[in-house]
Amino acid sequence: MDICATYQRKLEDDQISPPLAAILTLTELCASSTAGTMFELVKALNEGADALKQSSTNAISLNAGCELFIAFVTLFPHDSASFSDLKMELVKQGETYVRQALTYRQKIGELAVDFIKDDSVILTHSYSRVVMETLLLAHRSKRISVYVTEARPRGLGVKTAEALTAAGIPCTVILDSAVAYAIEKVDFVLVGSEAVVESGGLINAIGSLNIAIIAKAANKPFYALAESYKFHRLFPLSQYDLPSHNPRILSFPTPSEMAQAAENQMSSASPGSRSASQTLSSITQEEIAKNNPDVDYTRPDLISLVFSELGSLTPSGVSQYLVGMFAG
Amino acid sequence: MADPTTTSNEPSASTSGSQPSGSQPSQKTMTKAERRELQEKQRAAKLAQKQTGGDTKPKAKPKPARPTEATSSSGADASRSHPKDAAASTTVVEGVTSKSRSLRIFSHFGLPKHGPGVKGDIHPSIIRLALQFSEFRICGANARCIATLTAFKTVIQDYTTPPNNTLSRHLMSHLSPQITHLVSARPMSVTMGNAIRQLKLEISGSDIDMPEQDAKDLLCQKIDDYIRDRIIIADEVIQDLACKKIKDGDIILTYARSSVVEKVLLSAYKQGKRFSVIVVDSRPLLEGKALLQALTSAPPVSWTLSNDSLLPPPPPIPCTYALLPALPSLISEATTVILGAHSLHSNGAVFSRAGTALVAMMANQHSVPVLVCCETYKFSEGVMLDGFGKNELAPSHLFQTSPQAPNLEILNPLYDLTPPSCITAVVTEVGLIPPSSISSIPMALGRISL
Repeated sequence: MDICATYQRKLEDDQISPPLAAILTLTELCASSTAGTMFELVKALNEGADALKQSSTNAISLNAGCELFIAFVTLFPHDSASFSDLKMELVKQGETYVRQALTYRQKIGELAVDFIKDDSVILTHSYSRVVMETLLLAHRSKRISVYVTEARPRGLGVKTAEALTAAGIPCTVILDSAVAYAIEKVDFVLVGSEAVVESGGLINAIGSLNIAIIAKAANKPFYALAESYKFHRLFPLSQYDLPSHNPRILSFPTPSEMAQAAENQMSSASPGSRSASQTLSSITQEEIAKNNPDVDYTRPDLISLVFSELGSLTPSGVSQYLVGMFAG
Repeated sequence: MADPTTTSNEPSASTSGSQPSGSQPSQKTMTKAERRELQEKQRAAKLAQKQTGGDTKPKAKPKPARPTEATSSSGADASRSHPKDAAASTTVVEGVTSKSRSLRIFSHFGLPKHGPGVKGDIHPSIIRLALQFSEFRICGANARCIATLTAFKTVIQDYTTPPNNTLSRHLMSHLSPQITHLVSARPMSVTMGNAIRQLKLEISGSDIDMPEQDAKDLLCQKIDDYIRDRIIIADEVIQDLACKKIKDGDIILTYARSSVVEKVLLSAYKQGKRFSVIVVDSRPLLEGKALLQALTSAPPVSWTLSNDSLLPPPPPIPCTYALLPALPSLISEATTVILGAHSLHSNGAVFSRAGTALVAMMANQHSVPVLVCCETYKFSEGVMLDGFGKNELAPSHLFQTSPQAPNLEILNPLYDLTPPSCITAVVTEVGLIPPSSISSIPMALGRISL
């Protein structure tokens, strides 16, 4: 079976986030595998997970799902009569888990709504399903207004703004660089997450760290929303310690590339005197995005609370939960 | 001495021979603290008498601090200068107290009693080990724990249960004096304490009906397992985990010498990572020199065959050696700080070689991540708030570097306490853990039996 195609197919469902898609893909792999022993099965699953990681550009949240499922399989009590029964049982359990996991956003929303006061001004970043769910839930009982950052380079903030405006929530898109300007007007910051890591920190779309630092400086609470399947056994020491970091990110152009760029500029400048704006436009958005990271890591000391379906946790509470889950 | 209550006790202390109880008010009217003080004084007086009676054995450890008490300061004084004449020194103590004031708050720090007399039935291997401890030939939490357990194996093998007794009940009473002897050589480390507690548990749990030799073999087997599981294998896992945090081009800063950190750096080098190391060191132990030696002379350099081409041997690890005062100018260069630990407390504070706290705080100030490599068997359930409550002094006769001057007391605490806020992560065999979550590990890990 083509594991990557399955994964992409699963992702097409709007409600399914990457970790859940990874779990579903691995359950299918489990169902179709010909493995006769636990060892073979776990090996096949690990290979499948590696293939998925290879295919994806941003493997962090996907990895969290794979890790969860493989840990579940290895710890599953084998008391079935035959191995094929056990496999069916695993598949059933995996699917049940995903069904259950889809209700988590609702639970998180209910938890977080209690922290939203009437007439609040909320700042959010980019697009997140669980943040949308929470805001829509809050809108039913409270008057809220939302600032959302544009979130370059993908510009997903616009998607959030459209959805919120359609639901009747006053919403303004602000530039990523305007967060510091806007923070005084904001009551608190609410963001989703790609993954929550062992230090209690957060991995999220690029720009979250900026917002967290600005919120800390302005003494505004910074809340993160994360389903527990996004909890990930990873301990980044710095931004460059993330698995998504590669040498291309933030690299300077090599001398040959610089010579090339200078040549292009010269040739475009030679026909006549061009204006400065046109020479600037020789650097395209794609070129900028190429040397930039997709995600960043927010340190635990910048986060006020993490809402998950397990409860409202402080960052150290998250790390205690993770230590208890994986170190046991 | 200004205190009126102690002046009333004064004669009993200075006239060391007489029984002081006669000159005292009735014991019932005294508070508990006063009674204890009196008792301690009697003991000190007895000891002083013994010493004047020709026993030249030096009295090493000063009595617990009792600031205005004449006997206590005379005891401390005696250990330094004239152990023979404690009674006489009480008369000059007024002049000395002001000068020795600085040491008084540290007088509770453990100091190795050099030249411990052998009392009772001590096994030769323990006597040997105690000497190695007191001379700092065996130094470091892991090394001391392994050496102790290995010595106990010999003790257990040479032990025979006396008639009308059982091994599970009697062996511990045989081991207790051995442990006391070791502690008299150098205060017990947390690692030894944890290991001995496990050993006690195993001994008391051993089967009464088992033949003696089998029971002894089983205990030795358990000791070997403990060393293997909790120290050797744990170190290997820590090496793997910490190596992942070392990348090409990194500059690793470390302080003094930790056996685990040394292994981590060497194994990262063996994996082909190209990084450099700054070894920060400090007097009096200068342990960093040994680390520097190990890193620079490290691997057997040879040509390696890869893809049918012969590759030249990698250059050795580039190292910088500096003393602690140079730290501020070096810390901004470092990408990661990796430290070792003597023990780790449940609030996440790290008890480690004196100077570690300084390095960790400075790194924290410069936003350099601080990793502490520490096996879970070094965890201590207590909480420590600073390095003053409990510490150990480096024996001045071993690390004497400055000329001896009268009235100059050298204070060399061996350990200090790094607050958890200055530590990014603790590398243990169960993973990288933020210091705030340390308390949740022992429960998750369970007490792995010896």
